[in-house]
Amino acid sequence: MLKLEQVSKTYGNKSEKAVDNISFQVYPGEIFGFVGPNGAGKTTTIKMIVSLLAPNSGKIIINGIDNQENILEAKKQFSYVPDNPELFEKIKGIEYLKFMADVYEVPITERQQLIEKYLAVFEIKEAVNDPIGSYSHGMKQKLALVGALIHDPQLFVLDEPMVGLDPKASFELKKIMREHCDRGRSVFFSTHVLDVAEKICDRIAIIKKGKIIEVGTMVEIREKAGSQESLENIFLELTE
Amino acid sequence: MKEIMGLTKLFINESWGFSKFLYNRTNNKKAFYKQLVPMIIVPIALIPAFFMYVSFNIALYAGLRMINQTSVFLSVGYILTIALIIIFGIMVILSEFYFSKNIEELIPLPILPRNIIIAKFLSILVFEYVFTAVIFVPSLIIYGVGEGMGVVYAFLSLLMFITVPILPLALLTVLIMIIMQSASVKGRQDMLRIIFAFLGIALIMSVQIWFGNQMGNADNVDSQMLMNNLLVNNESLLNTIGYFVPTSLLLAWTLNQITLMSLAWAASSVVITIIAFALMVLVGKRVYIKSIVRGKTIKKGKRLSQIETQKALGKKSHGVMAIFSMDLRLLLRTPIYFFNNVSVVIIVPACLLISLSFIKLTPEDFNSIQNFYTEMPILVNFMLIAFFIFFGATTATTATTFSREGKASWLTRMIPVSSKDQIIGRTGTAVIIESLGIAFTLIGVFFYLPLTLLSLVLTVALGILGSLPILLFGLFMDMNRPLLDWNNPQKAVKNNMNVVITLFVGMAYIGLLLAVSGLLGYFINPWLGYGLFSVISGIMIFIFYKIIDKRLAVKLLNFE
Repeated sequence: MLKLEQVSKTYGNKSEKAVDNISFQVYPGEIFGFVGPNGAGKTTTIKMIVSLLAPNSGKIIINGIDNQENILEAKKQFSYVPDNPELFEKIKGIEYLKFMADVYEVPITERQQLIEKYLAVFEIKEAVNDPIGSYSHGMKQKLALVGALIHDPQLFVLDEPMVGLDPKASFELKKIMREHCDRGRSVFFSTHVLDVAEKICDRIAIIKKGKIIEVGTMVEIREKAGSQESLENIFLELTE
Repeated sequence: MKEIMGLTKLFINESWGFSKFLYNRTNNKKAFYKQLVPMIIVPIALIPAFFMYVSFNIALYAGLRMINQTSVFLSVGYILTIALIIIFGIMVILSEFYFSKNIEELIPLPILPRNIIIAKFLSILVFEYVFTAVIFVPSLIIYGVGEGMGVVYAFLSLLMFITVPILPLALLTVLIMIIMQSASVKGRQDMLRIIFAFLGIALIMSVQIWFGNQMGNADNVDSQMLMNNLLVNNESLLNTIGYFVPTSLLLAWTLNQITLMSLAWAASSVVITIIAFALMVLVGKRVYIKSIVRGKTIKKGKRLSQIETQKALGKKSHGVMAIFSMDLRLLLRTPIYFFNNVSVVIIVPACLLISLSFIKLTPEDFNSIQNFYTEMPILVNFMLIAFFIFFGATTATTATTFSREGKASWLTRMIPVSSKDQIIGRTGTAVIIESLGIAFTLIGVFFYLPLTLLSLVLTVALGILGSLPILLFGLFMDMNRPLLDWNNPQKAVKNNMNVVITLFVGMAYIGLLLAVSGLLGYFINPWLGYGLFSVISGIMIFIFYKIIDKRLAVKLLNFE
């Protein structure tokens, strides 16, 4: 579903690489967790996947489409929710959702059903006719999630999705992520909440200073680390 | 004092992004040069305009000298300066005091509210001094040299220069603070900004109308007597102007003739300025922080029923329409954008119509206008085309299209919308705004000159066709150097060099094209003129469209 091949990224004229020759793959039906310390290169990697940054070298293939060669087709394969979703403050929630449904060409009946469903799940139905500028951080995140789920993407990319959400919304999102993968689609998300990563991810990659230092299932990571401890402890050991 | 200076530096830095500029110098050379080049080119490009302004001032001084009225010269410069400070100051004060997010970070810190208010005011004042130096200092120098003034004049000029921007800015800040404090504006802050901006324009227009009336009344006075009065009493014009702006009298009495009384008048100016500043601090302490901590009030929409929600989602739009409607909504609903990008198409035709309404035309005058149009329709048509294109170039809608989205631009960059749809949608917004200006102008023109259907179709079609290359050039500029890193929408349009570059390049291009096409049409054949204009415009549209279409998708990847 998602394949990164020797991807690197350098900002400005700095010599240090923000992302250094990383390669990994996310398979269909898989929830893939991406963890690492602050400044390790998680957000840079995600931005390159979702076409918000161009890599200096390497390839990113989404559902068989190169996101540098065929940008438009690649964009149709995924949806993305950033860690701090800055949305157009003067636009109403409902206008935002219609915009997203239009650009992803979602049929009328489908958009009506899905939006109704997710507005109810995230409990923002009452606020949908208000300007986004009046939303709290969590509500903006919920709206961005609804907008991202409208077109039922092949790959669902999330950067720190649990940060602004209340416990119920966080629970619902985890459920949606699992259901999404059960239908053969994939979820790729970054997080600092290692308990969540350990519980819901099928596989995990750990990034440190722009390099992938570990990829695999929890069992594989534990085997390699020669420890039966939690992901948190292994993470602390690996990233020290 | 140290705290005030520190805060002032912080606000200036935040407004103009100096820290990022210096950071880029060592860490991101490409971004650094992108910022540096316009910083050098734009001031150089403005030098001819500045020299024209200075020449105009010299000519004005010489003219006033001939009628023995040089005493009014400094007052004219003073009034022009404060009028411009008021017009531009409204938006700057609102942005710095009420729409900048830094205040929410500063309030919880142990800083005296007074210091925050003074620092915010000083951060605005610094740039008003630059503005005053450009507009008012030439007047001071021309008068000083012309009247053969000495060191005392120079010293007093410096003193007056320091006081000039403080008084209008302080009083304006007081007025804005009081209105923003008012409970009745709850949830209407956006609308208030637009109303304020239009009030500023209305104020200036009122001055113009007032002067127009005075001039009109002068027709009834014996012109010989008026001339005699002007020649005998060298302060008659000054008194007229002083009646309208009393502080201009203080300036004139201080600097027109250097006597011991000049020092007293200068001291009065300084005292009034200090009082205005103190009043601003006092009012600010009482109402400013209070109005901020009261919280941002945004008018909420009504709760939608299931049927209403489904209805709102029940129409599928093409990618072009999605981009177009989003761009247009942002433009119309964000006051700063509305004022900078849209209001020009309302204000300019309105100003023109009001000015023309003061010219009393006789039936003979109407006949001569009609005859001129019948004999030389090509000249009238090209004048109208030029006027319509002016709206296309000055609204800067496309030159700020990505910049206006700021940090939310990730969304329009990530979505699967083709370059073609992005170009058409975003240019469409600009064309709609331009069309508003065209419609308003045609309504105004209709009162004086009923155009033929052919002229109407030709001017509207060629006006829009001719402006498209400028609109696409604006899009090209903003695609290449978008200004996305801002926390105050004012920056997206006011600090955006793309606007200035598009305006200069666009005007130069269209001036040349209109001149060549107009001459060809006038001397050889009108249709040849229109034809050349259309062909060149068509070629330019094609070239810019192709360039943007080819590069936009890749450019969207490199916005950060």
